Amino acid sequence: MADDASSSSACTGNLVDNSINQDELIMKQQREIEKEISESIPLVGDLEELASLEKEYNEDPVYLLKIKDLASKYKCIRRTRPDGNCFFRAFSYAYLEHLLNDKDEYEKFHEIAKNSKDILVALGFPQFTVEDFYETFMEVVQRVGEQAGGSPEAIEGVRTELHEKFNKQGYSDYIVVYLRLITSGQLQTQHDFYQNFIEGPRTVTEFCRQEVEPMYKESDHIHIIALSNALNVGVRVKYMDRGEGSQVIAHDFPEGSKAIVHLLYRPGHYDILYA
Amino acid sequence: MADIGDKYNTKCPGVKRLMREALELAEATEEYCARPIEDNLFEWHFTVRGPPGTDFDGGIYHGRILLPKEYPMHPPHIILLTPNGRFEVNKKICLSISGYHPETWQPSWSIRTALLALIAFMPTPAEGTIGSLDYTPAERKALAKKSVSWTCSECGDIALLLSSNAAKPVTEEEKSVLDQIAFKGEEEQATKPPEPEPTYEPEPQVLESVDTSTTVLDQVLEIIVALLLGAIAIFIYRRWNAYAQVDTEL
Repeated sequence: MADDASSSSACTGNLVDNSINQDELIMKQQREIEKEISESIPLVGDLEELASLEKEYNEDPVYLLKIKDLASKYKCIRRTRPDGNCFFRAFSYAYLEHLLNDKDEYEKFHEIAKNSKDILVALGFPQFTVEDFYETFMEVVQRVGEQAGGSPEAIEGVRTELHEKFNKQGYSDYIVVYLRLITSGQLQTQHDFYQNFIEGPRTVTEFCRQEVEPMYKESDHIHIIALSNALNVGVRVKYMDRGEGSQVIAHDFPEGSKAIVHLLYRPGHYDILYA
Repeated sequence: MADIGDKYNTKCPGVKRLMREALELAEATEEYCARPIEDNLFEWHFTVRGPPGTDFDGGIYHGRILLPKEYPMHPPHIILLTPNGRFEVNKKICLSISGYHPETWQPSWSIRTALLALIAFMPTPAEGTIGSLDYTPAERKALAKKSVSWTCSECGDIALLLSSNAAKPVTEEEKSVLDQIAFKGEEEQATKPPEPEPTYEPEPQVLESVDTSTTVLDQVLEIIVALLLGAIAIFIYRRWNAYAQVDTEL
C-alpha cells in the first residue's frame, strides 16, 4: 500500500530472465491492484455514520462486537485513502477542522507552526525546498485562522474549502510532506530519546531519511509520538484488530494528554473518528 | 518565464515549485546548469562538469531531466545524452538512497540535489547495475576529451553552457545526503536481483551493494508462499475427495 506509484513503471525484459520468479510478478501485480483500489478512494472522504463500518465486517463477530464498543463513544467516521500517508493526512485534516472551533488552540498552533521552518533549516534541511512546503502549509493554516471561532456560516465555508484542498493531490501532499518534515525534525532534535524506539542498527537520521521523510511510508508509533510532541497536540488512537476481547483499546499520544484528534487504526490504516 | 507562467496553473504547488527551481538554477555555475526546454516546465536539459581528479576530469556532459507530473512527490528521471563511459546514453536513470528501494526519494530534494548527486556518483563503480557502463579509465578519459565538442540540437555547443561562477557551496547536511544517493536504470526498480550479489567493497559506502537482509527476507517469503500454495492444493484435493465420496455414498 505504501508503494510508490513509480514502481509501476514497466519492467520490460523481465520475462526473458528466468531467475525472476513468479512470486515477484504476483507481488508486483498485487501492488498494482492495491494501488488501483487505493486511487479509487478519495484522499479524504465525506463524513459517514459509524455503522457504515459494519458493512465491511458483516460476517465477522469479533469486529462487529468491537464496532459496537466503538459506537458507544463515536458517532461518525471519515475515511482516508490508504496510500501510506493516511496518518499524516487524517491527523492534519482532523486537527485543522478542530481549530476552526477553537481559536485559542489555533493561536498556540500558529506560533508553533511559524517557528517550525527555522528549526528545520537549523537542522540542515535545504532552505529552498523547506520554504516551498512551509508556504503552502501556512497558506492552508492561515485560511483556517481567518475564520477560526467565527460565525457558523463562515466556518462552514472554510470547512468546505479545507475539504476541497485536502482532496487536491497537490495541496494535500504538500501538507503531508511538511508534517513529515516536522516529524523528522522532532526525531532529530531529540535523537537520544527516540533512538530507543528504533530497532536495529539504524541511527535516527537514517531512520528519518528512510521511513519518515519519503512519501507513502507508513506511520508507526514513533511517528505519532514525535508529531504529537512536536506540535503539542493530543492524539487518541483506537486500535481495532482481531485481538481478544470486545473492547477497542485506546492509546493517547503523548501519554496523559487531552485528546483533540481521534483516529481509528485498523492494521495498516488510519481513519478519523468523531464523537 | 512569462509564457510558462501563462501555460500552467501556477496555483498548483508542483508547478510553483518547478518555477522556483527554474529561477534558482537560471544562472549557470561552473559545476552545473539546467533549464526547462522551450516552454515545457516538465522537461529540462542540464549540463554538468566531470568531477576533477577523476576519469571524467575535463569532461562536460549534457542530458535531459524528465519530471513526473507528481513532482516533487516522485523523483525526476535523468537521461544522459553525451557519451561518458559511466552511464548508458538515452536511458532513463533514477535516484534513490543507495541500497534502498526507489521510493526513498524525498520531496525536499530538488533538481540541484539530483545534479550534485549525479556528479558525485559518476566516479563510483558501475558493478553491473542496469543503465551503468564499466568502461576502462582510458576510454572514459578519451570520452571526456571528446565531450567538450559535443553539441545538443536544442541547446547548441554544450561547452559554452557552463559559466565560471562558483555554485552555491554544498552544506554539511547536503553532503551527507549526496553520499547516500545512488542512480539506477529504470528496469531495476520493479524487480530486485533474485540472488544476493557478493559485495566486493569493504568500504562503508558501498553504493550499489544489495541489502542482504531484504533478500534473506525475500527467500523466507518465497518459502512461506510455496508452503501456503502447497497447503491450499492439499486442501482442495481433500475437499474434492470428500465431495467425490459423498457422491458415491448417495
